[in-house]
Amino acid sequence: MRNVYIAGVGHTKFGKTDLPFLDLLGSAALEALDDAGAKTGEGHCIDQVIVSSMGASIQNRISGSASALVDSLNLCPAMAECVENGPASGGSSVKLAYMAIASGVCDCVLVVGGEKMGKGKEATDFVATMLHPVAEYPYGLTLTSFAAMFTRLIMDKYGVTGEDLARIAVKNHANACHNPVAQLQKPVSLEDITTGENVAKMNPMVADPLHRYDVCPMSDGAAAVLLCSEDIKDRFKGKKVRVAGVGQATDTHAVANRAVPTDLLAVRIAAQKAYDMAGLTADDMSCAELHDAFQILELVESEEAGFFKRGEGHIGVRNGETEIGGRIPINTSGGLKAKGHPLGATGISQIIEVVKQIRGDAHGRQVEDAKAGLCVNFGGFGNNIVATVLTKE
Amino acid sequence: MNGYRCNSCGKLHHPARLVCDKCSAREFETVELVGEGELLTHTRLFNLPVGINKDFLDFGVVALDAGVCVTGQLDVEGEIKTGMKLTVTEGVIREIHDTEYVGFIFKKA
Repeated sequence: MRNVYIAGVGHTKFGKTDLPFLDLLGSAALEALDDAGAKTGEGHCIDQVIVSSMGASIQNRISGSASALVDSLNLCPAMAECVENGPASGGSSVKLAYMAIASGVCDCVLVVGGEKMGKGKEATDFVATMLHPVAEYPYGLTLTSFAAMFTRLIMDKYGVTGEDLARIAVKNHANACHNPVAQLQKPVSLEDITTGENVAKMNPMVADPLHRYDVCPMSDGAAAVLLCSEDIKDRFKGKKVRVAGVGQATDTHAVANRAVPTDLLAVRIAAQKAYDMAGLTADDMSCAELHDAFQILELVESEEAGFFKRGEGHIGVRNGETEIGGRIPINTSGGLKAKGHPLGATGISQIIEVVKQIRGDAHGRQVEDAKAGLCVNFGGFGNNIVATVLTKE
Repeated sequence: MNGYRCNSCGKLHHPARLVCDKCSAREFETVELVGEGELLTHTRLFNLPVGINKDFLDFGVVALDAGVCVTGQLDVEGEIKTGMKLTVTEGVIREIHDTEYVGFIFKKA
C-alpha cells in the first residue's frame, strides 16, 4: 500500500450559522484547498470529492450534495460521493479516502463534512434516528438517555463520580478558549457546575445522572481535509501529516444486546487496528481527540484506547494526566463538549486538530513536540467506530 | 411483545434478527415475552424528542427472567432503583405520523 498524507485542512467556526448547507461545506473545502495550495478548475489534481453528512437529506432536504459541491468548486469531472455513517461519517470518509489513495485508485481526495442540525425537539429526534428502529427509537429514547444509563453502570462499577465528569468538561472548556473555531469559548470552573450558587440553573439535570455540562451542544459547522499520495505530495505547500493507521469496528445495534454493558468493544478493536497498521501503541501517542458527545465517553474511550487501565481513567483525570502538559492530553481542541459537534464534520474536525498539533500550529493549546495522535470517531451509541492514527511526515 | 428463539441453539433474541448471533442459524420461533425481570440501569430523560408531550420519561434496560435484555419505558411510582424487580407489560409508547407504536412498559412487580 502507498503512504497517504494530509496536505491541507479547512474548518468553519462551529456554532449556529445562517449559511446554507452547501455554502457551509464550500467554505471549509476552499480553506483546505488554499491551505495546501491546491488549484481548482483546469489542470486541478483532485480525483475524488467525498461529502460526509448524517442528516443533509433529513434536516436540509438535500440529497446528492457531493454532486452539487464538486461542481460549485469547479472540480468536475472529479468523482463525487456522499458518505452517511451517523456521527462517524467524518472518520469513515477519511478512511475511504485513505483506501482510495493507498490502493492506487486515486492520488488526491478532498473530504468535506458538515451538518446543519436544526434545533429543539426536532433536532433531538433527528439525532435519535440512528438508534435501533424497532427496539429503541420508537420509545422516545435518545442518545443522551443511553449515555445516562451507561454512566450509571460505569459509576456503580468503577466509582466514577459526577465531579469526575465535570472535571472533563472544565478541561475541555479551558482548551476551547484557545481554539478560534470552537463553539463555546468560555471557561467554566468546577465550582460553577458542581456546587456553585447558581448550579441548578447553570447545570440542570438533562437525563439522570447527566447534567447539561456532561453533554455536548447542538452545532452547525463544516470541516475539510485534502489527502494525497506520496507521489504527488510535493506539489502542495506546507507541512504534511501522514495517515499512518486507520481502523474501524462495529458492535450490536441494540445497546441492550451487548454481552458486557460497560464495555465499548468497538472502540477497543478499532483503536488497536489503527495502532497495528501504524506500527505504534497507545504509549507512542502525543495527544488524542476522543469523541466526547458525552463526557463519560471521553473517559471510557481513553481506557478502551489503551491510555488507562479499565476503570482507572477517572483517576488520571483527577491527576490532570489528560490536560495539556499532562501525560496524554485529550481533546486539546475543546472536544465535542466545547468545540461543538456538527455530526458529519466531527470526525474530520478531530483529525484537523491532530494535524495542527503535529504541524505545531495549535497556537495557545500546543502539545510540546507532538509526533503522533489518535482520533476516535463514535457512531451510534458505540455501534460503529472509526479510529485514525496520524504521525509526522 | 415478542422474542425470537433460535431453532438451532435455543438462544432468545429481541429485537428480531436475520441470523442468530450465537450459532448463525436463520430460523426462529416467535415467543411471547411475559413475566418479570431485573432493572440493570435506568434514567429519567427531560429532553424528549418531538411528538412526546411530557415533561420527562423514565427508561430502563431490563434483564428478563426469560433470558434476554431489552430496553423499555418505565411506569413506576416512587423511587426507581437498579436491581428492582419489574413486570413486563406492553402499551402505546409513541405516536409517529398518526401511527401508534407498541412496546415494553415495565411496572413494579
